[in-house]
Formats: sequence, C-alpha cells, structure tokens
Amino acid sequence: MQDNIIKTWFITGASKGLGLALVKQLLAAGQNVAATSRNINELTKAVGTATKNFLPLQVNLADDTSVKQAIEQTNTTFGSVDVLINNAGYGIGGSFEELTDAEIRTAFDVNVFGTINTIRHALPYMRQQQSGHIINISSIAGFSAATGWAPYAATKFAITGLTEVLADDVKSFGIKATVVAPGAFRTSFLTDDSLALPQTPIAAYADIRVSHERYLTMNGQQAGDPEKAAAVMIETGFNPNPPVHLFLGSDAYKRAVLKIESLTKEIESLKELTTSTDY
Amino acid sequence: MSTNKTWFITGASKGFGLLFVQQLLAKGDYVAATSRRIADLETAAGTHPNFLPLEVDLTNEHSVASAINATVDKFGKLDVVVNNAGYGLLGTLEELSDAESRGNFEVNVFGLLNVIRHAMPHLRKQGSGHIFNISSIGGFTGNFPGFGIYCATKFAVAGLSESLAAEVKEFGINVTIVLPGYFRTSFLEAGSLAVPKNTIEAYKSTRESQEAHQKQINGNQAGDPEKGVAEIIKVADAPNPPLYLFLGSDAVSMAHTKIAAVDTEIAEWRSISVSTDF
Repeated sequence: MQDNIIKTWFITGASKGLGLALVKQLLAAGQNVAATSRNINELTKAVGTATKNFLPLQVNLADDTSVKQAIEQTNTTFGSVDVLINNAGYGIGGSFEELTDAEIRTAFDVNVFGTINTIRHALPYMRQQQSGHIINISSIAGFSAATGWAPYAATKFAITGLTEVLADDVKSFGIKATVVAPGAFRTSFLTDDSLALPQTPIAAYADIRVSHERYLTMNGQQAGDPEKAAAVMIETGFNPNPPVHLFLGSDAYKRAVLKIESLTKEIESLKELTTSTDY
Repeated sequence: MSTNKTWFITGASKGFGLLFVQQLLAKGDYVAATSRRIADLETAAGTHPNFLPLEVDLTNEHSVASAINATVDKFGKLDVVVNNAGYGLLGTLEELSDAESRGNFEVNVFGLLNVIRHAMPHLRKQGSGHIFNISSIGGFTGNFPGFGIYCATKFAVAGLSESLAAEVKEFGINVTIVLPGYFRTSFLEAGSLAVPKNTIEAYKSTRESQEAHQKQINGNQAGDPEKGVAEIIKVADAPNPPLYLFLGSDAVSMAHTKIAAVDTEIAEWRSISVSTDF
C-alpha cells in the first residue's frame, strides 16, 4: 500500500462485514478513518482499537441532517474527506405482492437514499479540494438481477445508474466515482442480521422460495474472501485512474459476462423493431 | 370469442400514455387509465364506453388498489399493465435536496411497485398477463450528464423487472422493460422536466445538458411516439415477448456504446475481479 500517503476515508455500515474489514485494514495502514454505524457501541467494539486516526460515528443514513453532521465532523477532525465508501446496505428478497410499500421504502432508505445523502454532503468538500473518490458498493445484482431478489436488485441497479452519471458529472473537479459489484462474499450477508424476507409469504411463489433456499444454504460457503475484497477496494481508492465499474469475485465476473452476452443477443434479434420507431 | 384485451395504463393524460389510450380504443380494446387529475384525462382522451378514466395518486397504495379493483369490476379482467407514469429530473446529486431526489423515486419507482403489488393477485388468478414497465435508455446507460437521480430510478425499474420476469413466469405472466430513446413528447417541456431549486454554477456540464435538453433536443427528438406506442402494443400480442425492448435507433446505438464500454472495463480489470476468491 501507498503508506506514505495518508487519506481520510469515510466508510458507512462499518460494524461488520466488508465495512469492518475496510476499517481494520485502513487503520493498520495508518490511514484516517471515519466510520458509521447505527450503533456506535457495536462499531467501537467491533473495531477494537481506539486510536486518534479513527473516528467512529453514530449515523442514521436515511436522515440527511445526521449524515451532514457526520461528514462535517470528519472534515473538522482530519481536515479532508478523500475517499467515501458507501458500504451500508442490506439484502431484501420476496415478491412485490408479498412485501409492503413500507418494507420496500425502508430498503431504499438505507441502500439508496443513504448513499445519495453521503454523496450530497461529501461533494462540497471534494469539490473544494479538487480531489476525491466516491466508491459505491452495489452488487452483481445491481447489474444482473436474480430470481427472488427484485427489491434488492432495484436498489442496487439504482446505485449503478447514479454512479455512472456521477462519474461524468464530477470528473472536471478531479473527483472519481466507482461502482463496485461484488458477487457472494463470506460475510454475514445471508443471515437474519443482514437479510429481510417477507413477513407474510405467499405459497404460490414457488420459484422464489426455491431461490431463497438455495441462497441461504450458500451461507458460510461463499467463494469470495471479504479481506481480499477490502484490499482491492483500498487499492482502488489509491488508484489515480480507477474503473467506473469494478466486478469483484469470479462469480460476479461470470454473471456480468453472461448478462452482456444474452442482452446483446436480444438487442440483435429485435433490431428491426427497435429502429422502426424514428420519424 | 373476443380477443380484445383489458389494459391498465398509468400517466395517461399526455405523451405515450395518452397515445396508448387512443390507439387501444381505436383497436377495440378495453382501457383503464390513470392520471393525477381525472379532468385532464377526460379532456385529453374524451369519453368512450370501453374507457375507464381514473384519478389516482400512484404513491398512495390505497388509491392504486381501488383503481385496479375498479378496472376488474368494470371489465371483468386485467390483461396488460403499462407502468408509464414518470417524470424526468435534471440536476446533480449535490444540487438536488433529499426531498427532490425522493420525489422522483416516489412516482418512477414506488408508484410502479404499488401498481404491480395490486395487479399481481388478479394476474396470478387468471394465469396470464403482461406487465410493461416503461424505463428509459437512461435506465441502461448513465451517459446523461446531470440525470443521476432520474437514471437511478430508471435503472431500478430495469433491475426489478429482470427479477420480476423470472418470478412470475410460473404464473404465465410476461414482463417487458421498455427503454425508449428520445421521443417527441412533452417530456422535456418546462412543466414536465423537473430541475433543482438550487443550482450550483460550477456544474458546467449539467447546466449545458439542461440548456441542450430544453432548447435543442426538445421538439427535435428523432422518435415518433405514435410509432413507439404501436410497437409496444404489437409486442403485447407476441407469443414470446422480449424482456428488454429498446425503442429508437438512438436508444439502440447508446445501448451498444454502453455495452462496449463495460466490456472493455471488464476485460481490463479481469485479473483484479477474479483475484478475490478464497
């Protein structure tokens, strides 16, 4: 790692999983780290080390004001906001018929609006610095959606879309944006702690139940190593020419390639129809 | 036996939505259509025995549920749902307030989900149906400066439709994502395209994008909405309808550009991508 360069990192959802791995690796490398969690005690306990270059923050990401204050405090403490990693999020599965409007909105609150809130409030600092990197953690489901996870795919596709636009919008300020699309990594993602399923399932949705069953049995056996993923993201944060899309894991890579192949075929087969609507 | 279908169309007082109503009634189909103000809808579409105009607040689940029930009560079935309502929002993530950003999701995403949630019981019961979710070419490529939130909403629609298509296949229901390029509707008019209350001048590319969309592109779009809607109606009769339906030569060309760009990036970063397995 580029240990002679000290950056200030702002990481959301840091009390476990990928977020926690990022915080630990960054602190071990002597970086300045501001990290958020809904519960500051869980965060400080999970990170373990109390050093002056670690700023734990209790933040409600869906609350614009809470986010604004956290980023202000980060800048006051460390003098800059260099790399923002939007990692907080949770999985939500089930059909739209089974999930209530409220359940869907809560998922968007964390997975989408929380991310937009941090970006909105980090950008003034980054524009002033004329540098910065926003890394949004989406999912391979944000590029190729799977059976049973429609609401999750909706939130993660949204992140992919807004990051693509963002990368262009902030380029002239020397700011980069990357959307990371991990496959299955061995975190607690597939446990009750990180996954919301419908309170009132409808038995007829057999394909969804089969898919959920299959995912849940994968828990503990995911091919991806979160420590390696965190290391790659940190390298990306130091890279002067980062990608806009970064797929992580051989499973994510394969699914992305397959999606592109099938879509290219579909576009080709409909070419006549789709180009017939011009004046 | 009549092969005429019953349609439920959202956002039907203008643009694609209104053309759906007109073309479908002319064809002899049954049409329930929604608008925020029923008067707008009646003024635009007139009256017809096969037409059920409905005043609906799509962001209100109860309002949506009663509209769908009224449709089934009147026509006895529901064959095709067209989630067409939505509006464009042009502003950077920093410029748009939390409320402005959420407002775009309210209509473009949560409204659409409310319709799906309440249409599904009827479609499942019938063992047939077709849901058209009108996304945008901006739901496939983010190459639209200043349209970050709008693209997020339209990407969300594309993503959820991919899953939905797989999930409802077992009930005999089809799902098609429609991704139009630029069509000559009122989409880019001042009353339709929303912009931030507080703009930041430093975002030059966004201000230029706004100027271009409002002054140059508006009124000169290559796509003919009449033809666009006619093609979608044809697809509703196809035995194996597509999942992704790009509309317009511009949309197809932008889709190819996006695919090529991602392909290049995937190849360039391949060794990193596959390095994180245990």
